[in-house]
Amino acid sequence: MISQAVLGEWYPVAMAALVDAAGRRTLLLGQEIRVFRDAGRIRVTADAGDLAVTERFGHVWACPGTPARALFTIPEADHPGRRLVDCGVVRVKCSPLRAVENFLDIAHFPFVHTDILGAEPHTEVNRYDVKIREEVDEVWATKVHFYQPQAAKSAEGGIVTEYMYRVPAPTASVLYKTCPAMPGEWDVIAIFVQPLTEELCDVWPWMALYDDVTPQAELIAFQQMIFLQDRSILENQIPRLLPLDPGMESPTQADLTSVAYRRWLKRRGLTYGAQMVAA
Amino acid sequence: MTRAWVANGLSRDLPAGVVMHGAWHGQDLAIWRSASGQIAAWKDRCQHRGMRLSHGFVRGETLSCIYHGWVYGTSGACGRIPAHPGLVPPSAIRAEAFACCEKDGVIWVAPAGTEGDVPDLAGLHPVRSLTVEAAGIEAPGLTGMEILQGSVMIAGQTVALGLVLQSLAAGRTAVHALCGGGGDVVAVSRWLEDLRRRLERGVAA
Ligand code: FES
Ligand SMILES: [Fe+2]
Repeated sequence: MISQAVLGEWYPVAMAALVDAAGRRTLLLGQEIRVFRDAGRIRVTADAGDLAVTERFGHVWACPGTPARALFTIPEADHPGRRLVDCGVVRVKCSPLRAVENFLDIAHFPFVHTDILGAEPHTEVNRYDVKIREEVDEVWATKVHFYQPQAAKSAEGGIVTEYMYRVPAPTASVLYKTCPAMPGEWDVIAIFVQPLTEELCDVWPWMALYDDVTPQAELIAFQQMIFLQDRSILENQIPRLLPLDPGMESPTQADLTSVAYRRWLKRRGLTYGAQMVAA
Repeated sequence: MTRAWVANGLSRDLPAGVVMHGAWHGQDLAIWRSASGQIAAWKDRCQHRGMRLSHGFVRGETLSCIYHGWVYGTSGACGRIPAHPGLVPPSAIRAEAFACCEKDGVIWVAPAGTEGDVPDLAGLHPVRSLTVEAAGIEAPGLTGMEILQGSVMIAGQTVALGLVLQSLAAGRTAVHALCGGGGDVVAVSRWLEDLRRRLERGVAA
């Protein structure tokens, strides 16, 4: 039985530009759905009928139940001068929640994205701020700093990058990072995760950047490489489900974002893809 | 009855500085050898965020987890958390160790504190390991592993042979082969290849 809380959320189910009349057959929370274009309008259907649909950030979002609230916004997506980049999709054999949690994690950069997003001996994670912004009910981490050998496609040489992380929906996360090309602005990178089942997901990376130099193909290839490195981790964590039971895993101060995310999921009953009791 | 000691390969296939995946009756293990040659077998799970330790890397006398680089010593205790270089990790953070030993060139694992003898293959020398994909060979390995010992005619010579079977999964068995002193290792190796072919074709050996 899937809880009302889980059913009332918005989930990405397709890249909008790719949806045609024939459409895409896929899974959402273990249920078969069809995403297709019908007289110009995008529809998402399941056995029981049409799902609530909205189109934003280049993607199609569906809600299998009664939407508890409107889909979150990313105001930067509307800023003129930003380039919006869809990075395709990566299928990962893991819980959708583990995929989000990995996205919130910086301590792995030197070991998983070696010489790109991090490098030894620059492994220290200093204290940063984390809180649940009650007014919007989102998890936010700010003042996150980390040394990066090559922070972005447009970056040359190592720099200390500042980040902010945001979880506005159970299977979506947005990060803001120092923009090498335009000091004072943030590059925006997000992942939209489609929960196919509790242990299988499609990850759609998406970016809104100030970079009109790097060819699109290169930007996508860079992001794809990063996510493939993450996949080699995500498919080898035990258990596949995200443990919400403290005691099963051992977080440190560097994991405060993940701790807040788990607490937020638990509090809101968003436990699809989570393991409640130690097995 | 569940056999306590399960073969997990030949010593020569685990050189210093290397970690490999192993198993004990369905329990995944990380088995590794330090630079000085010390061997250890642990549950294949880092306590931090559950990553398989068998994907990690060996540096000197330590095994590091590939996800966030937590460093574990041969005792299993976590000695360093790279995200917090100034922190001494609490003693509760440690890998869960299995008993692991080497005898006659074979690596054996059992739950920590296992009493009792490791199977004896004295007089035999390791030849090679190979994986057989065949349903039939599982039968003797129902208990997870079995040892077959005897003499076989190979290339006109009588050779004392020891085959240690390790069940990997349904239909997949590792065969760790040893032979007696006079055996021609190259000929025995060829004979084993042939045995595998016959087993995989469903022809009894
Ligand atoms: S999961 Fe092993 S160091 Fe984080
Ligand atoms: Fe990553």
